[in-house]
Amino acid sequence: MSWHVHAPLWEAYAAGRLDPAAEASVEAHITRCPECRGAARAVVAPAVAEAVWTDVRATISRPSVPVPVRVLRRMGVREDDLVVVSAADSLLVPWAVAVGFALVCACVVGLADLGAATRDAVFMALTPLVPVLAVVASYDALDPLRELAAPTPYSKLRLALLRASATLSVAVPAALAVGLLVPNMEDLAFVWLAPSLGLTVGALVLLTWFEAWVAGGLVAAAWVTFVVALRTGGDVDVLVSPVAQVAFVTGALLFAVALVLRTSTLRIQGGDL
Amino acid sequence: MSTTASFDRVSKKYGRATALWPTTLSLRPGVVGLLGPNGAGKTTMLRLLSTSLPPSAGRITVVGFDVTESHTNRVEARRRIGYCPQEVTFPRGMTAFAFLDYIAVLKEWKDSRTRHQEVRRVLDLVHLEDRGSMKVSKLSGGQRRRLAIAQALIGSPALLILDEPTTGLDPEQRASLRGLLSGLAGTVLISTHQTEDVSALCDRVLVIDAGAICFDGTVPELLATAAGRVHIGPTASVCAVQTWKTGTGLVRSVGGQPAPDSFVIDPSVEDAYLLLRPDRRTTQGVNQ
Repeated sequence: MSWHVHAPLWEAYAAGRLDPAAEASVEAHITRCPECRGAARAVVAPAVAEAVWTDVRATISRPSVPVPVRVLRRMGVREDDLVVVSAADSLLVPWAVAVGFALVCACVVGLADLGAATRDAVFMALTPLVPVLAVVASYDALDPLRELAAPTPYSKLRLALLRASATLSVAVPAALAVGLLVPNMEDLAFVWLAPSLGLTVGALVLLTWFEAWVAGGLVAAAWVTFVVALRTGGDVDVLVSPVAQVAFVTGALLFAVALVLRTSTLRIQGGDL
Repeated sequence: MSTTASFDRVSKKYGRATALWPTTLSLRPGVVGLLGPNGAGKTTMLRLLSTSLPPSAGRITVVGFDVTESHTNRVEARRRIGYCPQEVTFPRGMTAFAFLDYIAVLKEWKDSRTRHQEVRRVLDLVHLEDRGSMKVSKLSGGQRRRLAIAQALIGSPALLILDEPTTGLDPEQRASLRGLLSGLAGTVLISTHQTEDVSALCDRVLVIDAGAICFDGTVPELLATAAGRVHIGPTASVCAVQTWKTGTGLVRSVGGQPAPDSFVIDPSVEDAYLLLRPDRRTTQGVNQ
């Protein structure tokens, strides 16, 4: 520190005689200078000074909370869960991925000159992947901390589901909007949800083995190949049938069981769950 | 003194390569230094102990919990472990406080008021109390290293595992860290290349080479292995493990057959460490 708050300055500050600029300067200085904070005790009662200083530190060091996280807090989500889902900007990237990919889907389906059957196939190939890619992005954002998270007692399954839920809160409405807003897609507006559920839980299972984008890439490639094969062999209307929808939900349940088993009994790179 | 952690014939293989040969040891409260060359198995050993990595064989016990037995035991052990890896990659855009707050939640500090107090406590311990609101990307390398150490200190763990904690710290920060670690009540296991940290701080030294512990004892015991084997004189010893010309113009030789005009000097921890690995014989800048 190149300067310190001297006695006359302290007296003027304590008496409220300083102009606002000088007062702000003194306050900015004492936040960084332990020596002057010590000297402040001669002017202010030690207990009062310590309490004020603790509050100041608590206020300025507390992380700022993004608006969506404040909404979640008002909805009753626990404080520690909010810390997990809002860790820095870890949600901004997956949300951007979700909205961005949904826009791509909307543009391709709504603007490209495709026949009705091909357009439906493209919609069913891309839209269910919106939540998958968003969840994968949320993993990628916090992957750097994987080695630190591994030896902590926090349930990694809970961690995975919290992250996925927070991501899906934006990804699912974004994908729904594609079906509801793009003309002539109303019939398919909701039927992508069942396959998407299965794909998302499947991706969570793969994430216990692979890096985030590898897992996402595998799921996306498998799904697109499947839909292309269906389109080549005829029509993708089969995906809309009740049997297919039940099959997707059943698949999602099986993947969920696999996820629970995988995260409670097996060991993954970076640590077991 | 009670045992904080133990290895019972623990080994680790990556495919066909053996990173750690069957090893048995126990750790008690105090500071333990783990020395060894790159690739010797230091990080593998620390990751095994931190429960980040499962062993290929053997049993690991941490604070009475056999972590190789069940998931429940691993969770119990993890409540008592603090681990700082060699390299920590921080997420984009996180502040120092938010980073520690996140790790504190993962360590089951649920109440925000007490959690924030704990975060501020560890920030104080590593002298980053005025950096809490700064983004991690704006911190210097040494400050980021101290932040990584701070996260390991959350909850005052019974077993603190630090992989190369002094890398990137300046001498003053290293001395400060030594003061901090020496005042901790539990067991501290430090992997390091800094032999001066070991001699200044550690009650016990483990030297690992090629996946096997080749020395386990106190600093004086380690120094005793090199007594009478370090010389200084106008010419280098024959077949010395290491030789170099000192600032006085005399040649310091570690091991080997001393030249007739040289005399014995007290060994350092580094000398003793080098003599434990005599096959790494090199001589730079000195004609034998």
